[in-house]
Amino acid sequence: MTESGGAPGGRGRLTPVAPPAAAPLTPEALLAAVARGDEAAFARLYDATVPRVYGLVRRVLRDPAQAEEVVQEVMLEVWRTAARFEPARGSATGWILTMAHRRAVDRVRAEEASAARVLRVAAATVDVPYDDVVDRATGRLERQQVRHCLDALTDLQREAITLAYYGGHTYREVAALLDAGLPSIKTRMRDGLIRLRDCLGVEVSR
Amino acid sequence: MTDIHTLAGAYALDALDELERAAFDRHLRECAACATEVAELREAAARLADPTWSVPPPALRDRVLADIGRTRQVGPELPRPARRGAAPRWRRFAAAAAVVGLATAGGAAGAFAWQQRELRQERAVLAATRAEAARMQAVMTAPDARVHGGDLAGGGRITVVVSARENLGVVVLAAPPAEAGKVYQYWMLDGARPVSAAVLASGEHHSTRVLAGVQGMESFGVTVEPAGGSPTPSLPVRAGIPLV
Repeated sequence: MTESGGAPGGRGRLTPVAPPAAAPLTPEALLAAVARGDEAAFARLYDATVPRVYGLVRRVLRDPAQAEEVVQEVMLEVWRTAARFEPARGSATGWILTMAHRRAVDRVRAEEASAARVLRVAAATVDVPYDDVVDRATGRLERQQVRHCLDALTDLQREAITLAYYGGHTYREVAALLDAGLPSIKTRMRDGLIRLRDCLGVEVSR
Repeated sequence: MTDIHTLAGAYALDALDELERAAFDRHLRECAACATEVAELREAAARLADPTWSVPPPALRDRVLADIGRTRQVGPELPRPARRGAAPRWRRFAAAAAVVGLATAGGAAGAFAWQQRELRQERAVLAATRAEAARMQAVMTAPDARVHGGDLAGGGRITVVVSARENLGVVVLAAPPAEAGKVYQYWMLDGARPVSAAVLASGEHHSTRVLAGVQGMESFGVTVEPAGGSPTPSLPVRAGIPLV
């Protein structure tokens, strides 16, 4: 999207004019540029999204070293498959996070039986942000909004959703952990997410 | 709301096991309303990453940026031929589904009924796969297992392991794809006339199959036939392998 805001004549130019470094491009615009092989756009997209990607993956895996591996894989996948992103199906950030979450969950399940993971989870401390200062300065409102919306769910909805999303558990495992029936957990996950969606004002243009 | 549809929340949270995930993925391709709902639920779920916000070590950035410098990008996904694209997969499942007595949807059966059966059929496929693996193991570990093999005219290789004691054979094919609209078919000959042993699915050219009733068979043959197979082998025979 290096041409956004440019003069109509700019389209025919052979050398693209670089936008000012501070131009506030959306993740979607950056991703579109990445799809065309723009490495600088990728670096900016990385900076814009990686704290959430890393935070999420680390939360699920509970292991910073493994989290880094997975984030590296995910970001490489973003680069590789940027052209496959379909804006009609959601935001660029959502696309990346969906990919990250799935990979993290896949890895957790692959080593589910390993004693190492049990030990790691047991030993894991509460999440401490790597850079607490930046953490506090950025995205605070969004985080508060999510917490607020999570609080608005029923206990069962919230527990079912967080055990699945942050814990990487299947709904069967969640049902066992919460001592609830499968149909009830399926339903709570769905209506809980619907409530979350409405509370957060999430929209997907189609 | 079909039964499978209630899994939308669990799906958006990646809380389905692999089998259910695969079934739901296919369901999504056929149900536009579900796709919209799932897209929204996914988007909402992704927002759950917000409170986890945490900056990774800067060295990770360097590694990733170095990575992309040597990684080729893929092109956009071209529009896939709608609906009918599922046909080859369907045919593969049909055999396994028939084994456990599930109704197999014929060409005229509606997609709706098919969707509802997807999950059960996936399970049937899994059960059939396990049974097949057990039979394969029986052949491979049989004390009288004998390995035969040969090259295919036109490229590729076929390996046949038979155990008369188990009355089973394992056939491994590694060959180029059959010509457009054609499939590989296996035959067994007991001296009198060739009997069809298996018709491979369209596009199946790297394949491992278990064949029953190998006892007394003198040779094994491979031909290329129109999709669905032929009652008698068409010439030329791609491979003929003596089993005795």
